[in-house]
Amino acid sequence: MNYKNVITFILAGGKGERLYPLTKDRAKPAVPFGGTYRIIDFSLSNAINSGFKRIYILTQYKSFSLQRHIREGWNILSRELGEFIEIVPAQQRIGEDWYLGTADSVFQNLYLLEREKPDYVLILSGDHVYKMDYTKMLNFHIQKKADLTISVFEVNKEEASRFGVLKVDNEYRVTDFAEKPQVPFTLVENPSVSLISMGIYIFNTEILVKRLIEDAKKSNSSHDFGKDVIPSMVKRDKVFAYKFTEEGKKESRYWRDIGTIEAYYNSNMELLEIDPILNLYDENWPIMTYKPQSPPAKIIFLGKNVEILNSLISDGCIISGASIYNSIISPSVKIEKGSEIYDSIIMNNVYIGENCKIKKTIIDKYVIIPNNSVIGYNIEEDKKKFFVSETGIVVIPRGSFI
Amino acid sequence: MKNKILIIEDDENERMLYKEELEKEGYEILTASSGKEGLSIIEKESLNLVILDLRMPEMDGLEVLGKILSKRKHLPVIIYSSYSQYKNNFLSWAADAYIIKSSDMSELKNKIRELFEGQKDEL
Repeated sequence: MNYKNVITFILAGGKGERLYPLTKDRAKPAVPFGGTYRIIDFSLSNAINSGFKRIYILTQYKSFSLQRHIREGWNILSRELGEFIEIVPAQQRIGEDWYLGTADSVFQNLYLLEREKPDYVLILSGDHVYKMDYTKMLNFHIQKKADLTISVFEVNKEEASRFGVLKVDNEYRVTDFAEKPQVPFTLVENPSVSLISMGIYIFNTEILVKRLIEDAKKSNSSHDFGKDVIPSMVKRDKVFAYKFTEEGKKESRYWRDIGTIEAYYNSNMELLEIDPILNLYDENWPIMTYKPQSPPAKIIFLGKNVEILNSLISDGCIISGASIYNSIISPSVKIEKGSEIYDSIIMNNVYIGENCKIKKTIIDKYVIIPNNSVIGYNIEEDKKKFFVSETGIVVIPRGSFI
Repeated sequence: MKNKILIIEDDENERMLYKEELEKEGYEILTASSGKEGLSIIEKESLNLVILDLRMPEMDGLEVLGKILSKRKHLPVIIYSSYSQYKNNFLSWAADAYIIKSSDMSELKNKIRELFEGQKDEL
């Protein structure tokens, strides 16, 4: 198998409005995750670990921090060997609009496919967290002689309505597809389980180009893969569903669409479990990122009885006599004596003064929390000052003054 | 009402020849000598078809085609070129037909007729 025949597009243009205020100044794929990562690191690491090293990242909104992250952290491939990770801003090469939908974003970059002439095109979303070897999916695609293969994940029927849901025959050929249906299709063998699209597609290049052009000419199309292109293909092209298998696991359990503050918070918190279902410590499937040079985390005992339990503490942190429970502390955070942090996500370069109490709070980068602050204990009070999610997660935007 | 066709062709002799031949077929013909001029006519006029040369100075035909696709998605386009190698170019697939120029223009004429017949069926 020659993986040079594959071009990967990572769609990173989403506004991520439901992740506000984390997406106030950055695109959703650039939102920090798990202490030292950004969300897009997962798709990128998967692609590189799979050997797919010709990658275009399609961006549009607020892509500055995403671009910087890619430039600083992902300058690891060799252009001489035909490998690249290139950021492609919506540059209006063909059209004069911003990208209208996911399909339009690829359509507007047809010239890239023309330039590279790959046999297959892998399309990924830049805002999902999971570990996957795409070569297995490509082998399945080739073996089935498919025009399009969609990677699918099993969920309970009740959860399926938020996604694109597939109906398959016993060969896993897709017979129907509905985007966000009220009544989702279920598996014949198990009526409580539905197959949802993970937004991961492998297309034969020629069929992709034909269907994108067709879609571009339709005036009633929203130019979206899930809403328009895939439903139009199911009845006439060979569309197959590939059951997601997770790297390093017998059972596939972990795939997260980081769509909302709740989903974001929960999937971060899942990393703190004793045996997390997303294992970041697998040497065979490293998740790569950009890390600035910084010294090891330092925990200082100042005579007070302090505890640090069930937490991730990143490089460059100084914890001086503070207690931390069930929290993720990103690089270069400083926490002063007497403070207590519970169930929180603290991002890079945050300073937390003395005797603060912080619970169930996401603090974005470069925030200074003054001494004696109490956050996350009185939702009504917090709502006056901060963003508070539906389920009571407090979010303090980057660089806020308190 | 006559069907209105725009010919985008940088070579003046060819442009005039096509205009004459197609007027004989009963169409109303507009002409443009460059992609840029063609696009401004497309903006202003209500057209039924564009006949597009590919190799032109400044803006080539494929670029013009891309712009047509973003501005007037439903406007049919026939690529009329001396070169066949662009048939493999993905962008050229966005045209409704790709015809190689020949001294006898019957293939082009037939294709135009066919496209307009098809449009009638849709109405």
